Amino acid sequence: MSFLRHDLHTLTGAYVLDAVEPAEQARFEHHLRRCKPCGHEVRGLAETATGLAMAAAMPPPAQLKERVLTAVAVTRQLPPAADRPRRGRPAFGQAWIPRLAVAVAVASLAVAVALGAIGLSTRGELDRARAQNQAIAAVLAAPDARIVTQATAVGGTATVVVSRAEQKMIFTTAGLPRLPAAKVYELWLIGPPQIRRAGLLAAPSAGKTPPLLASGLVAGDKVGVTVEPAGGTSKPTTTPILLMSLPA
Amino acid sequence: MRAVGPGSGLGEGRGQDLDGLLDRVARGDQDAFEAVYDQLAGPVYGLIRKVVRDPAQSEEVTQEVLLEVWRSASRFDAARGSAATWVMTIAHRRAIDRVRSATAAAEREHKTAQPQVLTDEVAETVAANMDAERVRRCLGGLTELQRESITLAYYGGYTYQQVAALLHTALGTVKTRIRDGLIRLRDCMGVSW
Repeated sequence: MSFLRHDLHTLTGAYVLDAVEPAEQARFEHHLRRCKPCGHEVRGLAETATGLAMAAAMPPPAQLKERVLTAVAVTRQLPPAADRPRRGRPAFGQAWIPRLAVAVAVASLAVAVALGAIGLSTRGELDRARAQNQAIAAVLAAPDARIVTQATAVGGTATVVVSRAEQKMIFTTAGLPRLPAAKVYELWLIGPPQIRRAGLLAAPSAGKTPPLLASGLVAGDKVGVTVEPAGGTSKPTTTPILLMSLPA
Repeated sequence: MRAVGPGSGLGEGRGQDLDGLLDRVARGDQDAFEAVYDQLAGPVYGLIRKVVRDPAQSEEVTQEVLLEVWRSASRFDAARGSAATWVMTIAHRRAIDRVRSATAAAEREHKTAQPQVLTDEVAETVAANMDAERVRRCLGGLTELQRESITLAYYGGYTYQQVAALLHTALGTVKTRIRDGLIRLRDCMGVSW
């Protein structure tokens, strides 16, 4: 155990350089919560990394300032975090750093939404797709929308946009291995009280699965994906290829 | 200057206090944001260029990061680190997300990166930048393995596993060299936190 702790402790450097794989990063952040000296070291090394960033300064393209200031003028700001973690909590955790630019999410999801609409022929299907797209747009536009991306155990990445206020999330993947026709990826909301089905991932276009909207999120929910027989099951029957925590 | 010891030069002489500016930005002050832009757009863009390399994509990511600073300024907490570090952490993570994300993105980068001639960014960046001068001197004080591990991880955007593979070195060794090297840099740069 002490060996493990020592091992984790030496991760401070790689951690501040964002050079740690997601699973190990999660373990380290868990450790950080209880290890005060680690938190102190992480802060100092993070400031050091900022020195490396400053040393890389380059004049930005001339037209960039105009564009950023224009965008700023029409962009609503986030309110202060409701439950800002107190001092002594992990200095560098996810809660502190917004890993999101909703702009990116909108751009990549818009593509996925467009792709998702391809192949719909009947009026009913189109109407349903439109309603779904509007619901997705509502989550993306939510002022508290946050995005998390994580690699899956079988390759590829999953991206989730969550709005706590809307109690909804949008789930997409890129680069997941193709499954035989008899299998399907099934999405789960894994909460402390219970595991709920959250839908089946549709076949990918250009490597990306169309966005899946899940409602009724509650605090503490995690997101999981398993491989199940076509048509899905009511409970996960295989080891999850993805288990991700959602930003608070 | 909370993050940096007296006389260290890092982040000093950069005009107004960033912490105070971010506080005003959080309240919607666009002039304060412009001041933040003037101080940090260069380092943000330069760092992203190092990691992402493709100029068009770098510009895109830079814009996202700066917009993110505007959006979430209220989430900045000076008790947890300096304003510059908060911004640079967002920038580095976004750059990393860009290079490590989907295979599709990797392919796209491959396509766009081909025709472009890579200039020597280091020479370009270091120009007349006191901080850069100091950081470079401190980097010069590291062992070669420490320096290579740190620059591959931070500027190259590689995980430490990838760095170990690139340097044909054991994982544990790379992990500790990164930490030892950063500690040495920290002491050389006079970071006091």
